[in-house]
Amino acid sequence: MNRKSLRQKLFVAALVVPAFVVLFGVVVYPFFYNLVISFSNMSLRHIRDWKLIGLGQYIKVFTEPSQPNFYTVFVKTVIWTVVNIFFHVVIGVFLALVLNQKEIRGKAVFRAVLVLPWAVPQLIVALTWRGMFNYEYGAINLILTQWFGLPGVQWLKQPLEAFCAVIITNVWLGFPFMMVIALGALQSIPRELYEAADMDGASWHHKLRHITVPLIRPVMVPAITLGTIWTFNNLNIVWLVSNAGEPSDQTHLLVSFVYKAAFNFYRYGYGAALSIVIFFILLAFSLTFMRQSKAAENVYG
Amino acid sequence: MTPAGPPVSPGAQAPRPGSLALARLLPALLVASALLLAGCAHRAGETVRITIWHQDRIDIRVVLEKQIGRFMALHPGVKVEQLFKETEELRSGFIIAALAGQGPDIVYGPSDQVGPFETMQIILPLEGIFDSAWCASYDPLAMTWYKGHLYQVADKLGNHLTLVYNRKLVPVPPATDEEMITIGKRLTAPAGAGNGARYGLAWNYTEPFFFIPFLTGFGGWIMDGEGRPSLDTRATVDALRFIKDLRDVHRIIPNEADYEIADILFKDGNAGMIINGDWSWAGYRNAGLDIGVAPLPKIASTGLWCGTMVSPKGFSINANVTEEKKKLVIELIRYLMSEENQMESTRELYTMPTHMRVRGSEFVRNNEILRNSQIQIDHGRAMPVSPDLRAIWDAMRPSYQAVLAGTKTAEQAAHDMQELALQRIAEMNE
Repeated sequence: MNRKSLRQKLFVAALVVPAFVVLFGVVVYPFFYNLVISFSNMSLRHIRDWKLIGLGQYIKVFTEPSQPNFYTVFVKTVIWTVVNIFFHVVIGVFLALVLNQKEIRGKAVFRAVLVLPWAVPQLIVALTWRGMFNYEYGAINLILTQWFGLPGVQWLKQPLEAFCAVIITNVWLGFPFMMVIALGALQSIPRELYEAADMDGASWHHKLRHITVPLIRPVMVPAITLGTIWTFNNLNIVWLVSNAGEPSDQTHLLVSFVYKAAFNFYRYGYGAALSIVIFFILLAFSLTFMRQSKAAENVYG
Repeated sequence: MTPAGPPVSPGAQAPRPGSLALARLLPALLVASALLLAGCAHRAGETVRITIWHQDRIDIRVVLEKQIGRFMALHPGVKVEQLFKETEELRSGFIIAALAGQGPDIVYGPSDQVGPFETMQIILPLEGIFDSAWCASYDPLAMTWYKGHLYQVADKLGNHLTLVYNRKLVPVPPATDEEMITIGKRLTAPAGAGNGARYGLAWNYTEPFFFIPFLTGFGGWIMDGEGRPSLDTRATVDALRFIKDLRDVHRIIPNEADYEIADILFKDGNAGMIINGDWSWAGYRNAGLDIGVAPLPKIASTGLWCGTMVSPKGFSINANVTEEKKKLVIELIRYLMSEENQMESTRELYTMPTHMRVRGSEFVRNNEILRNSQIQIDHGRAMPVSPDLRAIWDAMRPSYQAVLAGTKTAEQAAHDMQELALQRIAEMNE
């Protein structure tokens, strides 16, 4: 190897190494540290003198008779994620299809307005919605009672209603992301394909099914995967709208369950084990979903 | 004319001029960065930085900033920074930072944070730092001892709930629960055209901390003499029923109220009375309300006052503070706790001072709010410092809210609270 090529390689290494160092510092090291803690007894009483105890924390995750227990919270988290992503995608793609019409005037204004929920900080969104769900003074019940003559709903005091309230908040917050992604994908579809379909006499439904959906799929599948991971791990909305799991700890998701165990009760080993379980749930979902949806395949191939 | 460059082997791709220049520039940039960092480090060495983390509201921060400013004027080589954090963020953030050998030099807050901090050995024992003569100038409650060591010195006493009333609506505050209900019924009015409902009383009644006055009023307390939870009692059942009845039978409190809703109702004149802490008084006065502060009423059936949890708020020192910095940190704490500064805080914030001369001052003795605040403190009990308190709060919340939602009886709730508290404490201490 001559000096020139060595220098080039060093130069490449100089450019790449900082990124690796940062990645190691903020992803690799914390992940493996978390993994080690998950096999330990680290807690309030063993914060400095912790030791490895094997699979004890994992066994507790699956067997501890806590209130609520892992399985209840897991089912709720799955429902929360599925319902949210369904509405995010349906509303987002629908709005993107509308905004992609040539006939729509003032697209930029509509786009800006529709992206607003995404642009507002989550803290403000969550607390505003919490106020809107108040039984007596909230906008939701005022609309239901005064405009539609319906009885008010105890949004934040009953478990089912409270769970619906956090889902409604997150649907409102999450659809703009899917809309922006879908709109970008729609705009990249060649017009000629629709013109050719028109010449063949294809209906709107046929064009949607055979052109639009297949061509936005490679963009939407990673977006849905990301959206699923974000939604599954969304702590802010549930924590703030339901005031940390109210009523009666009935609105917890797995991630708020972890937060509570680790930071309210100082159960670091248990929290780390639970977070590793969440990691593998999401990893399994992502790999399966990407494979089943054939997202990596070339749509034009 | 092309300048002569280094020989290029036939197989090697010639580097682009830009990247070559960058490659040559890189070592120079690294050297420059190192020099810059060294320069920064040198400057930091000249100025001692002291950081305080606290969870105080904005008006307290303003007063603190003035006091810090005066301290820095007296100590030109010292830069003091105060950083606000929400209560939970302060606690968890301090734990993480201190365990990593970092964190603020001083952590300020209510005394119950001492328990977990001591257990994790992240704050310093202070009994060897603040001598007994100095400590004697303060209310003994200001000195938080835990497991034989002093861990916190407080400049404010209280963090306690009182009955705050709007004088326009409530000329004379109630002395008993019966009077409170009578006044509440007189004030409560349904929503009309253009105006919302008005209530006699509002408070954040779904939160266990705000349940404590009624628990004590019925003769209960959250821990027994051994520090174990004592929730499955007649007093808990009676207190749960009492609060539910205020809403469902007497209808003098809103159907649903968290802290913000209750606060707004009171500020808007839509609630005649509110149960709130000493931290709220200045805000109500600034909102233009003519408020009075009274002790929470006596429960007629038991003859006991509704006593609240009383907690000092004070300074602890991070275990990672270096010896050379510690002197300045101690000096700062002494300065902030001085008679002059406590007098200033008391005048501006109506908080209860811990310095005995300030407590005995004409201002405190003649001020109705502070006088009644003192009575409420006398009716109260010190907040436990043990970390188990957190498990008890968490165990109380679900069952308490279930009673209010009508999905659990008071008896069942009291039983479940106790069981869950024991379970949570066992989990926390595993």
